[in-house]
Amino acid sequence: MISVKDLTFVYEGARKAALSGVSMEIRQGGFVGVIGPSGAGKTTLLSCMNGIIPHHFKGDYYGSVKICGKDTFDCSLTELSLVAGTVFQDVDGMLINATVEDEVLYGLENFGLPKAEIAARLEEVLEEVGIAGLRRRSISTLSGGQKQKVAIAAVLALRPQILLLDEPTGELDPASSRLVFSLLKRLNRERGITVVAVEQKIMLLSEFASELAVMSEGRLEFFGPVREVLRHSEELEKIGVNCPRVVALSRELEKRGLTAGTLCVSVDEAEAEVRRVLEG
Amino acid sequence: MIRLERVCYRYEGSGAAVEDLSFEINRGEFAALLGENGAGKSTVAKLIDGLVKPASGTVTVAGLDTRKTKTSELAKRVGFLFQNPDRQICKNTVREELAFGLELRGLDRAAIDERVERTLRDFGFDGERGPFTLSRGERQRLALASIIAAEPEIMILDEPTTGLDYRECMRVMEAVKGLNENGATVLMICHDMEVVLDFARRALVLSKGRLIADGAARRIFRSACAMEKASLSPPQITQLSLRLGAGFEEADTVGELAEAIVKRRRAV
Ligand SMILES: Nc1ncnc2c1ncn2[C@@H]1O[C@H](COP(=O)(O)OP(=O)(O)OP(=O)(O)O)[C@@H](O)[C@H]1O
Ligand SMILES: Nc1ncnc2c1ncn2[C@@H]1O[C@H](COP(=O)(O)OP(=O)(O)O)[C@@H](O)[C@H]1O
Ligand SMILES: [Mg+2]
Ligand SMILES: [Mg+2]
Repeated sequence: MISVKDLTFVYEGARKAALSGVSMEIRQGGFVGVIGPSGAGKTTLLSCMNGIIPHHFKGDYYGSVKICGKDTFDCSLTELSLVAGTVFQDVDGMLINATVEDEVLYGLENFGLPKAEIAARLEEVLEEVGIAGLRRRSISTLSGGQKQKVAIAAVLALRPQILLLDEPTGELDPASSRLVFSLLKRLNRERGITVVAVEQKIMLLSEFASELAVMSEGRLEFFGPVREVLRHSEELEKIGVNCPRVVALSRELEKRGLTAGTLCVSVDEAEAEVRRVLEG
Repeated sequence: MIRLERVCYRYEGSGAAVEDLSFEINRGEFAALLGENGAGKSTVAKLIDGLVKPASGTVTVAGLDTRKTKTSELAKRVGFLFQNPDRQICKNTVREELAFGLELRGLDRAAIDERVERTLRDFGFDGERGPFTLSRGERQRLALASIIAAEPEIMILDEPTTGLDYRECMRVMEAVKGLNENGATVLMICHDMEVVLDFARRALVLSKGRLIADGAARRIFRSACAMEKASLSPPQITQLSLRLGAGFEEADTVGELAEAIVKRRRAV
Protein backbone atom coordinates (compact mmCIF):
# COMPACT_ATOMS: atom_id res chain seq x y z
CA MET A 1 0.00 0.00 0.00
CA ILE A 2 2.74 2.39 1.03
CA SER A 3 6.24 1.52 0.04
CA VAL A 4 9.14 3.70 1.11
CA LYS A 5 12.56 2.82 -0.29
CA ASP A 6 15.85 4.31 0.82
CA LEU A 7 14.30 7.69 1.32
CA THR A 8 16.54 10.62 2.11
CA PHE A 9 15.30 14.19 2.16
CA VAL A 10 17.08 17.46 2.90
CA TYR A 11 14.89 20.58 3.06
CA GLU A 12 16.13 23.34 0.79
CA GLY A 13 18.71 25.38 2.71
CA ALA A 14 18.89 22.93 5.63
CA ARG A 15 22.24 21.63 6.82
CA LYS A 16 21.03 18.23 7.98
CA ALA A 17 18.91 15.58 6.29
CA ALA A 18 15.41 15.44 7.81
CA LEU A 19 15.15 11.81 6.65
CA SER A 20 18.08 9.49 6.00
CA GLY A 21 17.78 6.13 4.32
CA VAL A 22 14.27 5.30 5.50
CA SER A 23 12.71 2.13 4.11
CA MET A 24 9.37 0.69 5.16
CA GLU A 25 6.56 -1.38 3.69
CA ILE A 26 3.08 -0.74 5.00
CA ARG A 27 0.54 -3.30 3.85
CA GLN A 28 -3.07 -2.55 3.08
CA GLY A 29 -5.04 -2.62 6.33
CA GLY A 30 -1.96 -1.87 8.41
CA PHE A 31 -2.17 0.36 11.49
CA VAL A 32 1.21 1.93 12.08
CA GLY A 33 2.05 4.19 15.01
CA VAL A 34 4.99 6.53 14.49
CA ILE A 35 6.80 7.87 17.52
CA GLY A 36 10.06 9.68 18.19
CA PRO A 37 11.46 12.88 19.67
CA SER A 38 10.53 16.16 18.08
CA GLY A 39 12.65 16.94 15.07
CA ALA A 40 13.08 13.21 14.39
CA GLY A 41 11.46 13.50 10.96
CA LYS A 42 7.97 12.15 11.68
CA THR A 43 6.10 14.99 10.01
CA THR A 44 8.57 14.90 7.12
CA LEU A 45 7.86 11.19 6.65
CA LEU A 46 4.11 11.82 6.49
CA SER A 47 4.71 14.71 4.07
CA CYS A 48 6.50 12.27 1.78
CA MET A 49 3.54 9.91 1.93
CA ASN A 50 0.90 12.51 1.06
CA GLY A 51 3.04 14.10 -1.65
CA ILE A 52 3.57 17.49 0.03
CA ILE A 53 7.18 16.47 -0.43
CA PRO A 54 8.30 16.69 -3.23
CA HIS A 55 5.35 18.65 -4.70
CA HIS A 56 5.21 21.52 -2.24
CA PHE A 57 8.44 21.52 -0.23
CA LYS A 58 11.60 21.55 -2.30
CA GLY A 59 14.88 19.99 -1.38
CA ASP A 60 17.22 17.11 -2.16
CA TYR A 61 15.19 13.96 -2.56
CA TYR A 62 16.66 10.48 -2.96
CA GLY A 63 14.84 7.16 -2.99
CA SER A 64 11.17 6.60 -3.67
CA VAL A 65 7.72 6.51 -2.12
CA LYS A 66 4.99 4.49 -3.81
CA ILE A 67 1.34 4.72 -2.88
CA CYS A 68 -0.73 1.84 -4.28
CA GLY A 69 2.12 1.05 -6.62
CA LYS A 70 2.45 4.56 -8.03
CA ASP A 71 5.45 6.77 -7.37
CA THR A 72 4.35 9.98 -5.63
CA PHE A 73 6.68 11.86 -7.97
CA ASP A 74 4.43 10.91 -10.88
CA CYS A 75 1.10 11.74 -9.22
CA SER A 76 -0.41 15.16 -8.66
CA LEU A 77 -1.29 16.33 -5.15
CA THR A 78 -4.99 16.18 -6.06
CA GLU A 79 -4.68 12.59 -7.21
CA LEU A 80 -2.88 11.67 -4.02
CA SER A 81 -5.37 13.45 -1.80
CA LEU A 82 -8.13 11.22 -3.15
CA VAL A 83 -6.30 8.18 -1.81
CA ALA A 84 -4.62 9.52 1.32
CA GLY A 85 -6.28 11.95 3.73
CA THR A 86 -4.10 13.92 6.11
CA VAL A 87 -4.87 15.41 9.51
CA PHE A 88 -2.08 17.94 9.96
CA GLN A 89 -0.25 18.75 13.15
CA ASP A 90 -1.14 22.43 12.88
CA VAL A 91 -4.91 22.34 13.17
CA ASP A 92 -5.35 26.11 13.09
CA GLY A 93 -3.72 26.23 9.68
CA MET A 94 -5.97 23.49 8.40
CA LEU A 95 -9.38 24.88 9.31
CA ILE A 96 -10.39 27.42 6.71
CA ASN A 97 -14.16 27.66 6.93
CA ALA A 98 -16.41 29.72 9.19
CA THR A 99 -18.46 27.03 10.89
CA VAL A 100 -17.99 23.41 11.90
CA GLU A 101 -20.57 22.21 9.39
CA ASP A 102 -19.01 24.20 6.55
CA GLU A 103 -15.59 22.79 7.32
CA VAL A 104 -16.77 19.20 6.98
CA LEU A 105 -18.96 19.99 3.95
CA TYR A 106 -16.12 21.77 2.15
CA GLY A 107 -14.16 18.60 1.44
CA LEU A 108 -17.24 16.54 0.66
CA GLU A 109 -18.55 19.03 -1.88
CA ASN A 110 -15.15 19.26 -3.56
CA PHE A 111 -15.30 15.50 -3.97
CA GLY A 112 -18.45 15.90 -6.06
CA LEU A 113 -20.56 13.40 -4.11
CA PRO A 114 -24.37 13.25 -4.49
CA LYS A 115 -26.27 15.58 -2.12
CA ALA A 116 -27.92 12.82 -0.11
CA GLU A 117 -24.59 11.07 0.43
CA ILE A 118 -23.00 14.31 1.59
CA ALA A 119 -25.76 14.91 4.14
CA ALA A 120 -25.54 11.35 5.44
CA ARG A 121 -21.78 11.46 5.85
CA LEU A 122 -21.91 14.81 7.62
CA GLU A 123 -24.38 13.46 10.19
CA GLU A 124 -22.41 10.29 10.67
CA VAL A 125 -19.01 11.82 11.15
CA LEU A 126 -20.16 14.57 13.55
CA GLU A 127 -21.79 11.88 15.64
CA GLU A 128 -18.77 9.57 15.53
CA VAL A 129 -16.32 12.23 16.61
CA GLY A 130 -18.71 13.55 19.25
CA ILE A 131 -19.19 17.08 17.93
CA ALA A 132 -22.80 16.97 16.74
CA GLY A 133 -23.61 19.63 19.33
CA LEU A 134 -21.08 22.03 17.82
CA ARG A 135 -22.43 21.78 14.28
CA ARG A 136 -23.38 25.42 13.75
CA ARG A 137 -20.69 26.92 15.95
CA SER A 138 -18.18 29.33 14.51
CA ILE A 139 -14.77 27.67 14.46
CA SER A 140 -12.96 30.69 15.86
CA THR A 141 -14.90 30.31 19.11
CA LEU A 142 -14.08 26.65 19.76
CA SER A 143 -11.75 25.39 22.49
CA GLY A 144 -8.44 23.83 21.41
CA GLY A 145 -9.65 20.25 21.71
CA GLN A 146 -12.91 21.00 19.91
CA LYS A 147 -10.98 22.40 16.93
CA GLN A 148 -8.84 19.31 16.76
CA LYS A 149 -11.97 17.17 16.60
CA VAL A 150 -13.31 19.22 13.69
CA ALA A 151 -10.08 18.71 11.75
CA ILE A 152 -10.29 14.96 12.28
CA ALA A 153 -13.96 14.82 11.30
CA ALA A 154 -13.35 16.76 8.08
CA VAL A 155 -10.80 14.19 6.93
CA LEU A 156 -12.71 11.10 8.10
CA ALA A 157 -15.80 12.25 6.19
CA LEU A 158 -13.91 11.79 2.91
CA ARG A 159 -13.27 8.11 3.72
CA PRO A 160 -9.87 7.90 2.10
CA GLN A 161 -8.21 4.48 1.73
CA ILE A 162 -5.23 5.75 3.67
CA LEU A 163 -5.37 7.98 6.74
CA LEU A 164 -2.28 9.93 7.74
CA LEU A 165 -2.55 11.66 11.10
CA ASP A 166 0.06 13.91 12.67
CA GLU A 167 -0.32 14.03 16.46
CA PRO A 168 -4.11 14.09 16.19
CA THR A 169 -4.84 13.87 19.93
CA GLY A 170 -2.40 16.49 21.23
CA GLU A 171 -5.14 18.64 22.75
CA LEU A 172 -7.80 16.00 23.34
CA ASP A 173 -8.96 14.87 26.76
CA PRO A 174 -8.23 11.22 27.63
CA ALA A 175 -11.70 9.95 26.72
CA SER A 176 -11.73 11.79 23.37
CA SER A 177 -8.24 10.52 22.55
CA ARG A 178 -9.41 6.98 23.07
CA LEU A 179 -12.58 7.66 21.13
CA VAL A 180 -10.57 8.84 18.13
CA PHE A 181 -8.24 5.84 18.25
CA SER A 182 -11.14 3.40 18.69
CA LEU A 183 -12.76 4.97 15.67
CA LEU A 184 -9.55 4.64 13.64
CA LYS A 185 -9.27 1.02 14.72
CA ARG A 186 -12.83 0.34 13.65
CA LEU A 187 -12.33 1.92 10.22
CA ASN A 188 -9.11 -0.04 9.96
CA ARG A 189 -10.78 -3.36 10.82
CA GLU A 190 -14.12 -2.95 9.12
CA ARG A 191 -13.16 -1.06 5.99
CA GLY A 192 -9.55 -2.11 5.68
CA ILE A 193 -8.39 1.50 5.82
CA THR A 194 -4.63 1.84 6.24
CA VAL A 195 -3.71 4.10 9.15
CA VAL A 196 -0.41 5.83 9.83
CA ALA A 197 -0.56 7.90 13.02
CA VAL A 198 2.22 10.00 14.52
CA GLU A 199 1.53 10.20 18.23
CA GLN A 200 3.42 11.04 21.42
CA LYS A 201 1.03 9.06 23.61
CA ILE A 202 2.76 5.70 23.59
CA MET A 203 -0.07 4.15 25.62
CA LEU A 204 -2.55 4.80 22.83
CA LEU A 205 -0.21 3.39 20.22
CA SER A 206 0.58 0.25 22.18
CA GLU A 207 -3.09 -0.43 22.62
CA PHE A 208 -4.42 0.41 19.17
CA ALA A 209 -1.64 0.17 16.58
CA SER A 210 -0.44 -3.12 15.14
CA GLU A 211 3.01 -1.86 14.29
CA LEU A 212 5.31 0.71 15.74
CA ALA A 213 7.82 2.83 13.84
CA VAL A 214 10.37 4.62 16.00
CA MET A 215 12.22 7.53 14.47
CA SER A 216 15.27 9.37 15.70
CA GLU A 217 17.38 11.97 13.92
CA GLY A 218 15.89 11.19 10.53
CA ARG A 219 16.37 7.44 10.80
CA LEU A 220 13.90 4.66 11.28
CA GLU A 221 15.36 2.97 14.34
CA PHE A 222 12.71 0.33 14.90
CA PHE A 223 9.81 -0.91 12.82
CA GLY A 224 7.78 -3.96 13.66
CA PRO A 225 4.88 -5.37 15.68
CA VAL A 226 4.18 -3.24 18.76
CA ARG A 227 5.20 -5.89 21.25
CA GLU A 228 8.50 -6.63 19.55
CA VAL A 229 9.44 -2.97 19.47
CA LEU A 230 8.46 -2.40 23.11
CA ARG A 231 10.85 -5.19 24.11
CA HIS A 232 13.60 -2.67 23.40
CA SER A 233 12.31 -0.36 26.10
CA GLU A 234 15.77 0.53 27.36
CA GLU A 235 17.03 1.51 23.91
CA LEU A 236 13.81 3.42 23.33
CA GLU A 237 14.39 5.42 26.48
CA LYS A 238 17.85 6.35 25.24
CA ILE A 239 16.30 7.71 22.06
CA GLY A 240 13.88 9.70 24.23
CA VAL A 241 10.76 7.59 23.83
CA ASN A 242 9.16 6.51 27.08
CA CYS A 243 7.33 3.23 27.47
CA PRO A 244 3.87 2.68 28.86
CA ARG A 245 4.09 2.32 32.63
CA VAL A 246 2.79 -1.23 32.47
CA VAL A 247 5.88 -2.07 30.39
CA ALA A 248 8.05 -0.52 33.11
CA LEU A 249 6.10 -2.57 35.63
CA SER A 250 6.78 -5.78 33.67
CA ARG A 251 10.48 -4.95 33.80
CA GLU A 252 10.37 -4.21 37.50
CA LEU A 253 8.61 -7.48 38.31
CA GLU A 254 11.18 -9.39 36.27
CA LYS A 255 14.02 -7.60 38.05
CA ARG A 256 12.59 -8.67 41.39
CA GLY A 257 12.46 -12.25 40.17
CA LEU A 258 8.66 -12.38 40.27
CA THR A 259 8.13 -13.13 36.58
CA ALA A 260 10.13 -14.66 33.79
CA GLY A 261 9.98 -11.53 31.69
CA THR A 262 6.43 -11.49 30.32
CA LEU A 263 5.93 -8.17 28.58
CA CYS A 264 2.57 -6.52 29.29
CA VAL A 265 1.57 -3.76 26.89
CA SER A 266 -1.91 -2.99 28.25
CA VAL A 267 -3.59 -2.65 31.64
CA ASP A 268 -5.61 -5.82 30.91
CA GLU A 269 -2.49 -7.85 30.31
CA ALA A 270 -0.77 -6.38 33.37
CA GLU A 271 -3.76 -7.23 35.54
CA ALA A 272 -3.72 -10.87 34.43
CA GLU A 273 0.03 -11.07 35.01
CA VAL A 274 -0.09 -9.51 38.48
CA ARG A 275 -2.89 -11.88 39.49
CA ARG A 276 -0.73 -14.80 38.36
CA VAL A 277 2.15 -13.49 40.46
CA LEU A 278 -0.12 -13.06 43.50
CA GLU A 279 -1.52 -16.55 43.20
CA GLY A 280 2.09 -17.60 42.76
CA MET B 1 -2.90 33.53 46.22
CA ILE B 2 -5.71 32.90 43.72
CA ARG B 3 -9.34 33.12 44.77
CA LEU B 4 -12.50 32.70 42.73
CA GLU B 5 -15.80 33.49 44.44
CA ARG B 6 -19.05 32.51 42.77
CA VAL B 7 -17.69 33.34 39.36
CA CYS B 8 -19.88 33.17 36.26
CA TYR B 9 -18.74 33.80 32.73
CA ARG B 10 -20.64 33.51 29.47
CA TYR B 11 -19.35 33.79 25.91
CA GLU B 12 -21.71 35.38 23.47
CA GLY B 13 -23.24 32.82 21.17
CA SER B 14 -22.30 29.64 23.00
CA GLY B 15 -23.95 29.95 26.38
CA ALA B 16 -22.23 29.42 29.69
CA ALA B 17 -18.56 28.59 29.98
CA VAL B 18 -18.12 28.93 33.74
CA GLU B 19 -20.95 28.58 36.20
CA ASP B 20 -20.89 29.59 39.88
CA LEU B 21 -17.28 28.63 40.37
CA SER B 22 -15.46 29.03 43.69
CA PHE B 23 -12.05 27.81 44.78
CA GLU B 24 -8.88 29.05 46.36
CA ILE B 25 -5.26 28.20 45.65
CA ASN B 26 -2.70 29.02 48.31
CA ARG B 27 0.83 30.30 47.97
CA GLY B 28 3.26 27.58 46.97
CA GLU B 29 0.67 25.05 45.80
CA PHE B 30 1.09 22.98 42.64
CA ALA B 31 -2.42 22.33 41.38
CA ALA B 32 -3.77 20.81 38.19
CA LEU B 33 -7.02 21.85 36.53
CA LEU B 34 -8.58 18.88 34.73
CA GLY B 35 -11.70 18.33 32.68
CA GLU B 36 -13.14 17.35 29.31
CA ASN B 37 -12.63 19.37 26.12
CA GLY B 38 -14.81 22.44 26.39
CA ALA B 39 -15.14 22.11 30.18
CA GLY B 40 -14.06 25.74 30.69
CA LYS B 41 -10.43 25.24 31.78
CA SER B 42 -8.88 27.81 29.44
CA THR B 43 -11.65 30.22 30.36
CA VAL B 44 -10.71 29.87 34.03
CA ALA B 45 -7.07 30.49 33.10
CA LYS B 46 -8.03 33.67 31.23
CA LEU B 47 -10.19 34.82 34.15
CA ILE B 48 -7.21 34.49 36.49
CA ASP B 49 -4.93 36.27 34.10
CA GLY B 50 -7.45 39.10 33.71
CA LEU B 51 -7.87 38.56 29.97
CA VAL B 52 -11.57 38.10 30.58
CA LYS B 53 -13.50 39.54 33.48
CA PRO B 54 -16.21 37.69 35.40
CA ALA B 55 -19.83 38.52 34.56
CA SER B 56 -20.56 38.07 38.25
CA GLY B 57 -18.53 37.04 41.27
CA THR B 58 -14.93 38.03 41.92
CA VAL B 59 -11.49 36.82 40.96
CA THR B 60 -8.65 37.85 43.26
CA VAL B 61 -5.03 37.25 42.33
CA ALA B 62 -2.21 38.10 44.73
CA GLY B 63 -4.71 40.27 46.59
CA LEU B 64 -5.76 42.16 43.45
CA ASP B 65 -9.33 42.14 42.14
CA THR B 66 -8.91 41.39 38.41
CA ARG B 67 -11.80 43.66 37.54
CA LYS B 68 -10.10 46.63 39.15
CA THR B 69 -6.56 45.88 38.01
CA LYS B 70 -4.93 46.55 34.66
CA THR B 71 -3.97 43.41 32.74
CA SER B 72 -0.43 44.75 32.42
CA GLU B 73 -0.25 45.09 36.20
CA LEU B 74 -1.39 41.49 36.67
CA ALA B 75 1.09 40.32 34.02
CA LYS B 76 3.92 41.43 36.29
CA ARG B 77 2.80 38.96 38.93
CA VAL B 78 1.44 36.15 36.80
CA GLY B 79 3.26 34.12 34.15
CA PHE B 80 0.65 32.91 31.68
CA LEU B 81 1.16 30.24 29.04
CA PHE B 82 -1.47 30.20 26.29
CA GLN B 83 -2.80 26.88 25.03
CA ASN B 84 -1.45 27.90 21.63
CA PRO B 85 2.12 29.21 21.92
CA ASP B 86 1.76 31.22 18.72
CA ARG B 87 -0.59 33.55 20.58
CA GLN B 88 2.28 34.87 22.65
CA ILE B 89 5.37 34.64 20.46
CA CYS B 90 5.86 38.03 18.81
CA LYS B 91 9.56 38.78 18.23
CA ASN B 92 11.93 38.04 15.37
CA THR B 93 14.54 36.02 17.18
CA VAL B 94 14.51 33.62 20.09
CA ARG B 95 16.84 35.92 22.05
CA GLU B 96 14.57 38.96 21.58
CA GLU B 97 11.55 36.89 22.50
CA LEU B 98 13.13 35.85 25.79
CA ALA B 99 14.26 39.40 26.57
CA PHE B 100 10.82 40.84 25.79
CA GLY B 101 9.09 39.12 28.70
CA LEU B 102 11.77 40.35 31.08
CA GLU B 103 11.61 43.94 29.79
CA LEU B 104 7.86 43.97 30.52
CA ARG B 105 8.71 43.15 34.09
CA GLY B 106 11.02 46.11 34.32
CA LEU B 107 14.28 44.26 34.99
CA ASP B 108 17.51 46.18 34.34
CA ARG B 109 19.60 45.47 31.24
CA ALA B 110 22.34 43.48 32.96
CA ALA B 111 19.86 41.21 34.74
CA ILE B 112 17.95 40.69 31.49
CA ASP B 113 21.07 39.73 29.56
CA GLU B 114 22.18 37.36 32.27
CA ARG B 115 18.83 35.59 32.44
CA VAL B 116 18.44 35.40 28.67
CA GLU B 117 21.84 33.75 28.30
CA ARG B 118 21.09 31.34 31.13
CA THR B 119 17.74 30.39 29.62
CA LEU B 120 19.26 29.89 26.16
CA ARG B 121 21.76 27.54 27.76
CA ASP B 122 19.29 25.69 30.01
CA PHE B 123 16.86 25.05 27.18
CA GLY B 124 19.44 24.52 24.48
CA PHE B 125 18.07 27.21 22.16
CA ASP B 126 19.86 28.95 19.32
CA GLY B 127 19.27 32.65 20.14
CA GLU B 128 19.45 33.80 16.51
CA ARG B 129 16.75 31.44 15.16
CA GLY B 130 13.47 32.99 14.04
CA PRO B 131 10.73 31.69 16.34
CA PHE B 132 8.48 30.79 13.44
CA THR B 133 11.03 28.49 11.82
CA LEU B 134 10.91 26.36 14.98
CA SER B 135 8.77 23.23 15.17
CA ARG B 136 5.54 23.34 17.17
CA GLY B 137 7.22 21.56 20.10
CA GLU B 138 10.13 23.99 20.04
CA ARG B 139 7.77 27.00 19.94
CA GLN B 140 5.96 25.56 22.93
CA ARG B 141 9.23 25.25 24.81
CA LEU B 142 10.19 28.81 23.87
CA ALA B 143 6.89 30.19 25.17
CA LEU B 144 7.38 28.30 28.41
CA ALA B 145 11.03 29.28 28.69
CA SER B 146 10.17 32.96 28.46
CA ILE B 147 7.74 32.54 31.35
CA ILE B 148 10.15 30.50 33.41
CA ALA B 149 12.93 33.05 32.81
CA ALA B 150 10.79 35.73 34.44
CA GLU B 151 10.45 33.65 37.62
CA PRO B 152 6.90 34.82 38.33
CA GLU B 153 5.20 34.32 41.71
CA ILE B 154 2.24 32.70 40.01
CA MET B 155 2.27 30.52 36.93
CA ILE B 156 -0.86 29.64 34.97
CA LEU B 157 0.07 27.04 32.38
CA ASP B 158 -2.53 26.03 29.79
CA GLU B 159 -1.47 22.61 28.49
CA PRO B 160 2.29 23.13 28.86
CA THR B 161 3.22 19.68 27.56
CA THR B 162 1.22 19.41 24.32
CA GLY B 163 3.42 19.11 21.28
CA LEU B 164 6.41 18.09 23.39
CA ASP B 165 8.09 14.73 23.23
CA TYR B 166 8.69 12.80 26.44
CA ARG B 167 12.17 14.15 27.09
CA GLU B 168 11.20 17.78 26.50
CA CYS B 169 8.12 17.30 28.61
CA MET B 170 10.23 16.11 31.55
CA ARG B 171 12.69 18.93 31.04
CA VAL B 172 10.10 21.70 31.17
CA MET B 173 8.16 20.10 34.00
CA GLU B 174 11.34 19.82 36.07
CA ALA B 175 11.92 23.53 35.47
CA VAL B 176 8.39 24.34 36.62
CA LYS B 177 8.83 22.08 39.64
CA GLY B 178 12.04 23.93 40.51
CA LEU B 179 10.25 27.29 40.57
CA ASN B 180 7.45 25.78 42.62
CA GLU B 181 9.96 24.50 45.16
CA ASN B 182 11.27 28.04 45.40
CA GLY B 183 7.83 29.26 46.33
CA ALA B 184 5.96 29.90 43.08
CA THR B 185 2.28 29.00 42.94
CA VAL B 186 1.42 26.84 39.93
CA LEU B 187 -1.92 26.09 38.29
CA MET B 188 -1.52 23.79 35.33
CA ILE B 189 -4.13 22.63 32.83
CA CYS B 190 -3.20 19.22 31.53
CA HIS B 191 -4.73 16.23 29.75
CA ASP B 192 -1.85 13.91 30.55
CA MET B 193 -2.69 12.19 33.82
CA GLU B 194 0.78 10.71 34.21
CA VAL B 195 2.26 14.21 34.21
CA VAL B 196 -0.37 15.33 36.72
CA LEU B 197 0.43 12.36 38.95
CA ASP B 198 4.17 13.04 38.81
CA PHE B 199 4.06 16.79 39.39
CA ALA B 200 0.81 18.15 40.82
CA ARG B 201 -0.26 17.58 44.38
CA ARG B 202 -3.79 18.87 44.11
CA ALA B 203 -6.33 18.39 41.33
CA LEU B 204 -9.45 20.40 40.56
CA VAL B 205 -11.89 18.81 38.16
CA LEU B 206 -14.10 20.95 36.00
CA SER B 207 -17.04 19.63 34.01
CA LYS B 208 -19.42 21.74 31.95
CA GLY B 209 -18.16 24.86 33.68
CA ARG B 210 -18.65 23.57 37.22
CA LEU B 211 -16.21 22.29 39.80
CA ILE B 212 -17.06 18.63 40.42
CA ALA B 213 -14.06 17.52 42.49
CA ASP B 214 -11.18 19.11 44.36
CA GLY B 215 -8.55 17.35 46.45
CA ALA B 216 -5.30 15.40 46.46
CA ALA B 217 -4.57 14.37 42.85
CA ARG B 218 -4.02 10.76 43.84
CA ARG B 219 -7.34 10.59 45.62
CA ILE B 220 -9.22 12.20 42.75
CA PHE B 221 -7.83 9.62 40.32
CA ARG B 222 -9.47 6.98 42.46
CA SER B 223 -12.88 8.62 42.37
CA ALA B 224 -14.47 6.85 39.39
CA CYS B 225 -17.48 9.12 39.41
CA ALA B 226 -15.62 12.42 39.01
CA MET B 227 -13.19 10.94 36.50
CA GLU B 228 -15.87 9.57 34.22
CA LYS B 229 -18.00 12.65 34.37
CA ALA B 230 -15.05 14.74 33.18
CA SER B 231 -13.94 12.28 30.45
CA LEU B 232 -10.75 11.47 32.30
CA SER B 233 -9.05 8.18 32.89
CA PRO B 234 -6.57 7.51 35.68
CA PRO B 235 -2.88 6.84 34.99
CA GLN B 236 -2.13 3.21 34.05
CA ILE B 237 -0.74 2.07 37.37
CA THR B 238 -3.65 3.63 39.27
CA GLN B 239 -6.08 1.85 36.93
CA LEU B 240 -4.31 -1.38 37.62
CA SER B 241 -4.23 -0.99 41.40
CA LEU B 242 -7.92 -0.03 41.40
CA ARG B 243 -8.69 -3.31 39.69
CA LEU B 244 -6.54 -5.24 42.15
CA GLY B 245 -8.53 -3.83 45.06
CA ALA B 246 -7.73 -4.19 48.75
CA GLY B 247 -4.07 -3.85 49.68
CA PHE B 248 -3.26 -1.71 46.64
CA GLU B 249 -4.93 1.55 47.64
CA GLU B 250 -1.68 3.47 47.88
CA ALA B 251 0.00 2.17 44.74
CA ASP B 252 0.14 4.79 41.99
CA THR B 253 3.70 4.39 40.73
CA VAL B 254 5.59 1.40 39.35
CA GLY B 255 7.76 1.21 42.47
CA GLU B 256 4.80 1.42 44.85
CA LEU B 257 2.86 -1.25 43.00
CA ALA B 258 5.84 -3.63 42.88
CA GLU B 259 6.32 -3.13 46.63
CA ALA B 260 2.65 -3.82 47.31
CA ILE B 261 2.84 -7.03 45.27
CA VAL B 262 5.89 -8.21 47.20
CA LYS B 263 4.18 -7.43 50.50
CA ARG B 264 1.06 -9.34 49.52
CA ARG B 265 3.07 -12.36 48.46
CA ARG B 266 4.89 -12.41 51.76
CA ALA B 267 1.59 -12.20 53.64
CA VAL B 268 0.17 -15.22 51.81
N1 LIG C 1 -14.51 33.09 22.11
C1 LIG C 1 -15.49 32.20 22.39
N2 LIG C 1 -16.77 32.45 21.99
C2 LIG C 1 -17.76 31.56 22.27
N3 LIG C 1 -17.60 30.42 22.93
C3 LIG C 1 -16.36 30.11 23.37
C4 LIG C 1 -15.24 30.98 23.12
N4 LIG C 1 -14.14 30.42 23.66
C5 LIG C 1 -14.54 29.26 24.22
N5 LIG C 1 -15.87 29.06 24.04
C6 LIG C 1 -16.68 27.92 24.53
O1 LIG C 1 -16.64 27.89 25.96
C7 LIG C 1 -16.50 26.55 26.45
C8 LIG C 1 -15.23 26.45 27.32
O2 LIG C 1 -14.08 26.71 26.53
P1 LIG C 1 -12.60 26.57 27.07
O3 LIG C 1 -11.68 27.03 25.99
O4 LIG C 1 -12.51 27.22 28.40
O5 LIG C 1 -12.52 24.96 27.24
P2 LIG C 1 -11.31 24.05 27.74
O6 LIG C 1 -11.76 23.35 28.98
O7 LIG C 1 -10.07 24.83 27.82
O8 LIG C 1 -11.23 22.94 26.56
P3 LIG C 1 -9.96 22.23 25.84
O9 LIG C 1 -9.56 21.09 26.72
O10 LIG C 1 -10.54 21.70 24.56
O11 LIG C 1 -8.91 23.27 25.64
C9 LIG C 1 -16.46 25.65 25.21
O12 LIG C 1 -17.73 25.09 24.98
C10 LIG C 1 -16.08 26.59 24.08
O13 LIG C 1 -16.59 26.15 22.85
N1 LIG D 1 9.97 23.43 6.18
C1 LIG D 1 11.15 23.10 6.69
N2 LIG D 1 12.30 23.69 6.26
C2 LIG D 1 13.50 23.34 6.77
N3 LIG D 1 13.69 22.41 7.73
C3 LIG D 1 12.59 21.78 8.20
C4 LIG D 1 11.27 22.09 7.71
N4 LIG D 1 10.38 21.29 8.37
C5 LIG D 1 11.11 20.54 9.22
N5 LIG D 1 12.44 20.82 9.12
C6 LIG D 1 13.53 20.17 9.88
O1 LIG D 1 13.53 18.79 9.56
C7 LIG D 1 13.74 17.99 10.72
C8 LIG D 1 12.57 17.04 10.93
O2 LIG D 1 11.42 17.79 11.24
P1 LIG D 1 9.97 17.16 11.40
O3 LIG D 1 9.73 16.18 10.31
O4 LIG D 1 9.00 18.27 11.53
O5 LIG D 1 10.13 16.38 12.77
P2 LIG D 1 9.02 15.78 13.78
O6 LIG D 1 7.69 15.79 13.09
O7 LIG D 1 9.52 14.40 14.07
O8 LIG D 1 9.05 16.64 14.98
C9 LIG D 1 13.98 18.98 11.87
O9 LIG D 1 15.36 19.15 12.02
C10 LIG D 1 13.31 20.26 11.38
O10 LIG D 1 13.91 21.40 11.96
MG1 LIG E 1 5.90 16.84 13.70
MG1 LIG F 1 -8.31 24.84 26.70
